Amino acid sequence: MAVLAETEDTLALFTEGIAGRYFHIKATDEFNNHRRLAYTTERASQGGDALYLPEQVDAPDNSCYRVLVMEQLGLRECGTFTFRMEKALQNIAELNARYTEPKGATARTGDFHLLFGCFAQPALATDLFNLLEKSRVQGHLQRAYPGLRRHQQSYYQHLLLTEELSDDPINIGHRYLWGEISGAGQWSSLGTALEYLAATETSVYDSVRALCQFYDEVAASYIFQPNSLYAEQDESMTDWLNREQRVEEWDEQLEKVDDMVMALEMLQAENMDAERGDTGDGAVREADVDINSLTDERDTLKRRIDMERSSIAHALGADRSAARSFRYDEWDYLQRRYLSHWCRVYEETLLGTGEEDTASLVEAVRTFQPMVQKQLEQIRPSGLQRVSRVQDGDELDLNAIVEARQDIRAGHSPDERFYSRKERLHRDVCTIFLVDLSASTDDPIDPPEPFDWANYDENTDDNMRDPWYSDLAEGEDEGPKRKIIDIQREAMVVMASALDALGDSYGIYGFSGYGKDCVEVFVAKEPNQGFSQRTLQSIAAMKPKRSTRMGAAIRHSTHKLMQSGHAMKVLMVISDGFPQDSDYGPERGNHDYGVEDTARALAEAQQKGVETFCVTVDRSGQDYLKRMCPDSRYLVIEEMADLPGQLTKVYAALTGR
Amino acid sequence: MSQAENFYTTDTEPYYLALNDEVEIFHAAYSARLPVLLKGPTGCGKTRFIEHMTWRLYRETANPLEVPLITVSCHEDLTATDMVGRYLLKGDETVWSDGPLTRAVRTGAICYLDEIVEARKDTTVLIHSLTDHRRILPIDKTGELVNAHSEFLLVISYNPGYQSVLKDLKTSTRQRFVALDFDYPSVELESIIIAHEADIDAAQAERLAVIGERVRNLKQHGFEEGVSTRLLIYTADLMNAGIAPRRAAEVAIITAISDDRTVQQAVADIVDVILP
Repeated sequence: MAVLAETEDTLALFTEGIAGRYFHIKATDEFNNHRRLAYTTERASQGGDALYLPEQVDAPDNSCYRVLVMEQLGLRECGTFTFRMEKALQNIAELNARYTEPKGATARTGDFHLLFGCFAQPALATDLFNLLEKSRVQGHLQRAYPGLRRHQQSYYQHLLLTEELSDDPINIGHRYLWGEISGAGQWSSLGTALEYLAATETSVYDSVRALCQFYDEVAASYIFQPNSLYAEQDESMTDWLNREQRVEEWDEQLEKVDDMVMALEMLQAENMDAERGDTGDGAVREADVDINSLTDERDTLKRRIDMERSSIAHALGADRSAARSFRYDEWDYLQRRYLSHWCRVYEETLLGTGEEDTASLVEAVRTFQPMVQKQLEQIRPSGLQRVSRVQDGDELDLNAIVEARQDIRAGHSPDERFYSRKERLHRDVCTIFLVDLSASTDDPIDPPEPFDWANYDENTDDNMRDPWYSDLAEGEDEGPKRKIIDIQREAMVVMASALDALGDSYGIYGFSGYGKDCVEVFVAKEPNQGFSQRTLQSIAAMKPKRSTRMGAAIRHSTHKLMQSGHAMKVLMVISDGFPQDSDYGPERGNHDYGVEDTARALAEAQQKGVETFCVTVDRSGQDYLKRMCPDSRYLVIEEMADLPGQLTKVYAALTGR
Repeated sequence: MSQAENFYTTDTEPYYLALNDEVEIFHAAYSARLPVLLKGPTGCGKTRFIEHMTWRLYRETANPLEVPLITVSCHEDLTATDMVGRYLLKGDETVWSDGPLTRAVRTGAICYLDEIVEARKDTTVLIHSLTDHRRILPIDKTGELVNAHSEFLLVISYNPGYQSVLKDLKTSTRQRFVALDFDYPSVELESIIIAHEADIDAAQAERLAVIGERVRNLKQHGFEEGVSTRLLIYTADLMNAGIAPRRAAEVAIITAISDDRTVQQAVADIVDVILP
């Protein structure tokens, strides 16, 4: 039995290498299927940014997953999703004969939907078409990737032995592709067609032509009940992927129309200049009409693209092609065991748009820099140092020369180390700051005191507050309240600029998410990147998001730290409350599960040689942090404004040894 | 101490397949004595290009040099002293010995500083006066001001990919050079290069070039650079010597480019499906 979890990391890299772009490798049951889409968890399939593979495959070894991946990528390489009905109708007479434009068809109706709608049993046509395409893809794969053949053979051999035998032509066709030539019997002509599609460089239209040719014969071998499964036309993944590709074509079209509108507008402006004072001969009018019809066309196209995009996102799930994803285990303390490959973590680069307000961050750096710098200087190694008496260097070491001369005079052989050179002392530290971006970080720093309504007296309203408090209240009214996230961002910028001066490498990640299948880690800065304006913008782009599934985020950060290859690795978690998520434990209100999982994740990091530390701004954090963090590696910050200063102290203490 | 590799021009031409107009550009730059910067990933042919160009330029020259190309491979401990020269203890006295850069400046050779950003900062400043109209090399230890030979040319190379931002080339340095961008060749051209260098048949060379193309899709994962043309040629050499293709790829490509097990396995899988 082959298991996806065992091979998915390698498989993701393999896929990226072959395809030249990243695909999330997901288990088939991770797909949020909706009712109308024909989808089965037993077979591999793909979405716009992911390949879905069965969690387990009954096969002799893991190479079957490579075969499945290649079959999916083959569909892209062979241009299955580039099918256009318009072109098919022009070139294939048999199809033209079957086609009548369906009622309710719009410009957005999928091309495959139109194609399969030409047949009385659309679902059967879909299956037959998929079989023909499979043969075409298989032929292409064998030519382009000759090494794949033996894996295919062993997997298909296994399928032939284990799959049920049946008489229906689709099944016979599949068995034929798996290498069972003898069973074709009365379907030998279908076999020939499959071979033809595989043997040469053919296009998706050749498969469509074969579909038209064989459909009736194949359909004749079935007895259809009035409400048989094949009569309904479900939405298919292929159709959606085809539509996704079509949107890109529309995008190009839109660009062209846009250019034309612009060119016409410029031309018109020129004409206007030229003909100013002229009585006008109608030429300008004509251009006017042109422009109007073109802008209309552009607007319609734009609307259509937007609508199509949102339908596609609804059908295939949100596009996460910019992110990479990883699965991690989770500790279930109730069952005392790990849930294997339980959480999916999406890692996304946080890109500032350039419109963020970085002024307050720059201000924070200015305020805290001197204090932070002073603390960190205590651990800074003294830069370049001159080392004397070395074999090789940029200066002669005078003392050594004198000694060498003495030795030569005395008839001894002199010491050869008579140079001195400057050497830089290195600190080999890598730190990751993991910042909680849960929705609660949007709260103001000082929540208003709960008002005692029992003693409420209208007249004494003003007197209830002492002068100090009323001053504060007035001050708050002047501008927007400072939030927890503001302080977190400022603390990160201050640390970043200080560590940059110190020369340590450090990464800044934010994390949030919703549910076990969507933990998000946002990378504001990777350890190997330098500190720049862009970093500032990325930090400014850190926004409060959703929940706090801390365990998965910690495991991911640890994984990345382990890959960094530095001698000393530090993970600092900055949060504003206990870990919580929609499905983090059996009951939503009970935080024990999350605390236990986080504790376990921190312990795992510690075991791997990562120094961990948790800082929280939650004043009631003492009790759960005590359970969560090993060896009192935590700190509860009472005053938010202390965060940058406290972080520096902790950092110096952790790394200054 | 720097490693100065010396290249002697011989009768045989170092093989180089031009991917673009780099040969003409270099010719033009040389005749105007403009310093040249070669940018590109490891093993894509920068050093071979400069050897080839030296061979072309000094083939018909009236000044037959014993060492027409002086290559200095820069590393992070390389200081200005290593390039310019130093005092050595010789018998009873200390004598001055020219470094590779000074030698090239005096004799009129091409001086090729490989991976210049690796070297310490003081070395990059050193070349400033050599790369503008002054063409002089000041040697502060001896107080000498060496005027560059009329045929002297400075060529540096740098790899923008794997150095950290801290090690980027300064703008003031970068703006003194004519910059030539190098990249790995397309599958077709790379097949020709592999087939020529390792003397294997075109079909096998093409398979190796496809491996190169696909594995390069994976850069940034545990290895900073894709598999270089050089490694592909090594693989072909091993195959030529009778090693089975998969084994040859294993030792020359897979284990060479990364230490990460997952990455190694993924690359091995890619190689496995592409090789017949």
